[in-house]
Amino acid sequence: MSWPYIVTYVSYIFVIAAYAFKVAKIAKMPLHVRWDLYPIPHEKGHQYGGSYLEESEWWTKPQERSALRSISYMLKRYFLLNGYFRRNKKYWMSLYPWHIGFYLIVFFHVLAFIGALTIVTTGGTIDAASTSGFGIGLYYLTLVVAVASFILGSLGSIGLLTERLVDKGLKDYASPTNYFNYIFFLIVFLSGLFSWALFDPTLSAYREFWKGLITFQYAAVEPATYTHIILFSLFLIYLPFTRSTHYITILFAFFGVLWGDKPNLRGGDMEGDIKELLEKPVSWSAPHIQSGKKWSDVATEGVEPE
Amino acid sequence: MTKRTKVKDISQDPPEQLLHIAAQELMPLPCCQGELSIDPPIRPLTEEQKGRYECSFDGISAVRLTKPQSRQDEDKLVAGFLSGLKKLLSKEDNWTFLQPLTISLEYCAKCQICSEECPIYVASGRQEIYRPTYRAEVLRRIINRYLKRGGKALARFTGNDVELNWTTIARLAESAYRCTLCRRCTQACARGIDNGLISREIRKVFSQELGIVAPELHALGSVKQLEVGASTGISPQAFEGMVEFMEEEIEEKTGRKIKFPIDKRGADILLIHNSGEFMSWPENPEAFAIIFEAAGVNWTLSTELGGYEATNYGLWYDDVQFARIALRQAQVAKDLRVRKIVIGECGHAHKASIVTADRIFPPELNIPRESCLPVLEEIVLGGKLKLDPRRNNFPVTLHDPCNMVRSMGIVEPQRRIVRAICPQFREMEPHGVKNYCCGGGSGFAIMNSMNFPDWRSGISGRMKMKQIIDSFQDVLDPSIQKYVCAPCSNCKGQFRDMFIYYNIAEQYNIVYGGLVELIVNAMVDIPAGYLEVEEAPVVEEVPTTDREAVV
Repeated sequence: MSWPYIVTYVSYIFVIAAYAFKVAKIAKMPLHVRWDLYPIPHEKGHQYGGSYLEESEWWTKPQERSALRSISYMLKRYFLLNGYFRRNKKYWMSLYPWHIGFYLIVFFHVLAFIGALTIVTTGGTIDAASTSGFGIGLYYLTLVVAVASFILGSLGSIGLLTERLVDKGLKDYASPTNYFNYIFFLIVFLSGLFSWALFDPTLSAYREFWKGLITFQYAAVEPATYTHIILFSLFLIYLPFTRSTHYITILFAFFGVLWGDKPNLRGGDMEGDIKELLEKPVSWSAPHIQSGKKWSDVATEGVEPE
Repeated sequence: MTKRTKVKDISQDPPEQLLHIAAQELMPLPCCQGELSIDPPIRPLTEEQKGRYECSFDGISAVRLTKPQSRQDEDKLVAGFLSGLKKLLSKEDNWTFLQPLTISLEYCAKCQICSEECPIYVASGRQEIYRPTYRAEVLRRIINRYLKRGGKALARFTGNDVELNWTTIARLAESAYRCTLCRRCTQACARGIDNGLISREIRKVFSQELGIVAPELHALGSVKQLEVGASTGISPQAFEGMVEFMEEEIEEKTGRKIKFPIDKRGADILLIHNSGEFMSWPENPEAFAIIFEAAGVNWTLSTELGGYEATNYGLWYDDVQFARIALRQAQVAKDLRVRKIVIGECGHAHKASIVTADRIFPPELNIPRESCLPVLEEIVLGGKLKLDPRRNNFPVTLHDPCNMVRSMGIVEPQRRIVRAICPQFREMEPHGVKNYCCGGGSGFAIMNSMNFPDWRSGISGRMKMKQIIDSFQDVLDPSIQKYVCAPCSNCKGQFRDMFIYYNIAEQYNIVYGGLVELIVNAMVDIPAGYLEVEEAPVVEEVPTTDREAVV
């Protein structure tokens, strides 16, 4: 087995495991107290930021919630980055292509895999002269997605690098790691562009490579393609060490915290969790806290039932 | 222009003051138009105060942290702070906020989109140390460098260049009290990063681990509340006396004999006010009594320890104090066997009791809690009172307490009331969930240490002052009295001080007050003039549609 194949297997396994680990770490954190922030899209009064707490005796009334609205709101955040657009268009002009470059480069590799799988399982071809419409469609889609990702990702990386260097407010908060990231990601995108433009205009080498990954029959491909594949694998391995997990943690931040307005109703499913949390020991050291006692004891000190 | 301050400058030792606030750099106010004589300066600390207290952050002392006497003092603070930070990041010690805090610490892109949303940063003339990401970034760099594996070794590459020393920690403590926790910055963040929460959690480390906290919030605030009964120092006996006083005052003003229901078992509502109302604005709880009695509400006040005080300063700095107060209030309600708790006009008490404490109540203390605003809306719009909006025929604007709108989504009930009873109502811009903080949020309104009041009027309240003046631009003539309706005790406290600071009452004849006072002022069976606000010349005929339908 040639080593680019090994690196690719390792990178995919690693990125999935590392993301799963990081997400599990956040997901397994204990139930936190409520810290809502309005407007909340699932609320009936979302247009002006209203909540169910605007109703007298809200606990006796059914709550109208629209999960669809929250999902739609979140999709706009993911795919339009509309918050940035509204508040800083100049920054958005770099950030947007950068993000879209990321989405598309991952999508491109998925399409290359689907293409290879199609070839392996049906014996068909993925090219402009394919006998099936699917083959032709997939060929052009892969081409458009890949080239768009290389160009947008490169432009975004250059734009963000420049913004960080020029804008004082951004520069003061940037670390050498930030600059490394922009440059490394730029190299990844440019390597793809270079390989496509000079050596592999149909991107067939990627499908060949993926065929090898699927069938364990490893074929040699262009060194330029190898270079991009290895860089992309390193990119995948590096991703979990960046703040890229925000693609997932944003769901916890919004659905769990800022929009997490689920009340603790009597007899509801939170009571068990709360009881357990109140049994936790308190070990803070300030004089007004009695370290070593349980939360329930420390918090109810002086609260004497009748 | 002052030198641009960098994040790592916070650890510069020996310390030079990071920011010297210069009046000419502050955001101009519409009233001032370059004339700083009516834009009072922030008074510097005296030499004695400078020698005694840490003030190298910006020349202000909110925490009153005394300077160390020895190297041992310095080392003790550093060790204690690190120990507290470890607890802050542990699920055993910080289950209350661990997940929101972790997300906010680890996933900020430092894109600075939030900065322009911060009224303190903008009003200060965009001073770097007031940027919402500044203190969060300091904390982040300390954690990454001193608590994470390989943090020190990789510090140059990761940019975690903040050195941990006494000065860093002392300045960080002060900086946590330069954010009102209004969370406007969080609304702007695409990733949901909550710099307001980070400020709150920094305060928490100092309080829960080191016992360092603004004294007005702790020793003179929540501790006093738990010991005496109210953060204002009102004991149960004193409270009973105040109730008698309010009954007499109602009779004097209105001719009505109203007996406040006290410790009435089985009442529908246990009404809890911010005790500051009894001290400074008794007309507010009096107005509640007049309205509830007129509407036939089955309500009560409590004289039990903690049962007549809605404030919960723990919300701003300490989970343990927060839980103690919330549970005590619930216990009082349980003992009285009331159906529900209604919180009076106090923003942070709303959020503390109704929202944040929700997940600390065991079932037996989980008494339903709600805001007074929907209750009042039902009374006013439900036609339970005879109201004449013409009695409120003067320019009125509505201030939105952050805790009610941004943190709870209670936006329209108060508006529907004001629209119904105030013919000259006008909105501030922006308003509702996009409002600006009064500048006294997160405890600032009651913090009066040294020159801190100058800072909170001059900087943290500056944007609100601008909004208020802007909203009355067409009626600035001092012959027309104008009313800022602020249904929150702390906001009113801030307006009281800020209006004096800017001499607003005299210059523009702008006064402030609560919502219930406006309602009572419009009640036709109460003698006119409950609110001592002169009617403005009638700008236009009072509409005869919706508003009269209420009457």
